[in-house]
Amino acid sequence: MDATKCPPGMRVLVSLTALSSLSGCSGPQSALQPAGVDAEQIGQLFWWMCAVAVLIWLLVIGFAVYATHINPETHDSRAARWLIIGGGAIAPPVVLGALLVFGLPLLPSLSAPAEDGLQVTVSGERWWWRVQYPTPSGGTVELANEVRLPVGERVGFSLTSPDVIHSFWIPSLGGKVDMIPGRTTRLTLEPTDVGVYRGACAEYCGTAHALMNFQVVVMEPEAFTVWLEQQAAPAQTPQSSLARRGQEAFLANGCSACHTIRGTPADGVLGPDLTHVGSRLSLGAGILPNDAEAFARWIRHTDQIKPGVNMPAFAMLPEGQLTALAAYLSGLK
Amino acid sequence: MRVEPTRALLYRLTTLPHRVIRYMVGHGKALLLSLAMLGGVLAGGGFLVVWLGLVPISASSGHWPVTRWFLHFAMRNAVETQAMGIKAPALDDPALVLKGAGHYATGCAPCHGAPGERQSLIVQQMTPKPPFLPPRIHEWTHEQLFWIVKHGVKFTAMPAWVSLQREDEIWAMVAFLRELPTLSPENYERLAYGERADTGIAKETTPDHLRALSDPLGPTLANCDRCHGSDGLGRGTGAFPKLAGQSETYLRASLRAYADGERNSGIMEPIAAGIDEATMQALAEHYASQYAIADQPADTQRPNIDGPVATDFDPAAITRGRAIAQRGIPEQGVPSCTDCHGPRREPHNPYYPKLAGQYTDYLVLQLSLFKSGKRGGTAYAHIMHSAAKGLSEEQIHDVALYYASLKQESRYPSIRLKRGEEPISSSIEISSIYRDRLIR
Repeated sequence: MDATKCPPGMRVLVSLTALSSLSGCSGPQSALQPAGVDAEQIGQLFWWMCAVAVLIWLLVIGFAVYATHINPETHDSRAARWLIIGGGAIAPPVVLGALLVFGLPLLPSLSAPAEDGLQVTVSGERWWWRVQYPTPSGGTVELANEVRLPVGERVGFSLTSPDVIHSFWIPSLGGKVDMIPGRTTRLTLEPTDVGVYRGACAEYCGTAHALMNFQVVVMEPEAFTVWLEQQAAPAQTPQSSLARRGQEAFLANGCSACHTIRGTPADGVLGPDLTHVGSRLSLGAGILPNDAEAFARWIRHTDQIKPGVNMPAFAMLPEGQLTALAAYLSGLK
Repeated sequence: MRVEPTRALLYRLTTLPHRVIRYMVGHGKALLLSLAMLGGVLAGGGFLVVWLGLVPISASSGHWPVTRWFLHFAMRNAVETQAMGIKAPALDDPALVLKGAGHYATGCAPCHGAPGERQSLIVQQMTPKPPFLPPRIHEWTHEQLFWIVKHGVKFTAMPAWVSLQREDEIWAMVAFLRELPTLSPENYERLAYGERADTGIAKETTPDHLRALSDPLGPTLANCDRCHGSDGLGRGTGAFPKLAGQSETYLRASLRAYADGERNSGIMEPIAAGIDEATMQALAEHYASQYAIADQPADTQRPNIDGPVATDFDPAAITRGRAIAQRGIPEQGVPSCTDCHGPRREPHNPYYPKLAGQYTDYLVLQLSLFKSGKRGGTAYAHIMHSAAKGLSEEQIHDVALYYASLKQESRYPSIRLKRGEEPISSSIEISSIYRDRLIR
């Protein structure tokens, strides 16, 4: 289309659409806005591929335009044959080979074990994340649906799954790695920028696959140490009488059969550990805000919010118990 | 010659079909027309008879012999054919017979009679008249009886089973029906009426504190007691659950669930549907108060006075069951049982039944029903669907044995189960104890 014939309104619309589609390239879940060493490498690879692809595209289109419009006469068959053999048979393996030579050495560094660095174990379960951190005292502490990392430190991840194949992906920090039942796969990440990012399951794993996310918080090392110590501590005792009733309701209704709240008799291991659930950035594996209202909604309509979830919906609980439960759980900072 | 006529006859006979066809082809139109007219006249005449109200529908007149023969012919063949795909499970468990007997007394005997009980005179005026069953059972196989009890029979008064998904109950009924022809009136009474039968007449079972509430509870409670026992302990066999000491909330909600069709049972649904709210409440209070296993840990519970609860004492199975009950089986998605059903120190939701000392067979049945999704119940029942989903049959048995053993430990304090312990030699055989009662 000749740009001079294009109505001005149309031009504005086209540029606005193009701009707004670019805005999808930033945000807490963008591989194009790297916040980690590995994502940086992957991003560079992407841009190189993009540039080379554009170059090849321009060449091919250029030849086509030349042959059909600029010089439409019969061409020398000898030159044409060399062009076809060279551009069609020789150039692709050379380009792809170069990419392979550039890309393959990246792989080991992406999964290189972080020697004596922090080691985090993440298990993808339908449809949430079980996260285990080593504590300074030599034990492990189990958390859920949130990963926090110290900035500038290389952190190793051991990834596994008890049910189906999931894939662990924090686009802002690095590549994705599958979590395969019966195996442990590895990934290493080194965040470079403090901030809150988003991770997701990147392998279709069933009904609620799209509702299996998590928050990633990259912190200053000192803040991270404080956070880990706090997470490793047992739950605080409920202060208000409402929260105390919530704790009673939690135990009386058997929530403890599936959930652990360290420091209380609740020691179930089927579902997420709730010891400090109130301190997390989101609920239900990255799908609800973390406040009392969202807690009540989640407990009441689990099956509607996350179809196929193992946790039964507790809509039959009396209103008073639900409110108390929500107050207790959201207060577990 | 004599050969000729024979040959001519043979010829005529062998060519008969050919000639009939030739005639029909030749006179096709006329023939079709006359057939259609005949059909029209018959249908019109039939409709006229019905329209004028001349059909003999009165039960008092009975069936013509040919109608009776035809209806029976149709029914027998239908039952035989349609029962072909059914396979009977083992039916020699005395508890099945007992369960069937309990329902027979109220659900079947009024029409079909029982040893020592004639059919009601009113029922005998029905057409077709329901058969007096004891001498007729042998005419059917297990599978055919199952089919009849489950589906009922059209054009007779035989109803279908109230809860079609509870095939286990229907098999219990069949197990009882198989015993029916050999039962003496005394033994039938003992099976169907329990302790009341021993006294010869309906024993006064209503405790004093209930009497003031309402007199009508007397007969209602007496009906409950036939199966659940006046002590609420379920007659010691596992056919019926122990109700004694369950929470009032749970008992009332369960009755409500039966009455509303939320909990499926061809036996309990009809009973509960006939009970009003106030009576349900009184019944729940009655059984809840029978003795307080309520808020005590199981090992201090009162011993089971109605005999041993478990059918076998397999210490290894009980140990496995205890592990499941206390910790669940995380890798199979099974949560612990004790967090909701005890025994434990924290108070629990009164809608959750206590399982300590409950019968193995009853627990196995309920868990299997939950696992297959056939068990409804109170508003909390769906929790059990995800809990029981991952249990294998063996694990269900183990965990049921564990809960059934809980009260026994206090009665037989020497039994202390530890991992790797030798099986107890003097194991208690419930079946032998029970069989003494079930004298044919």
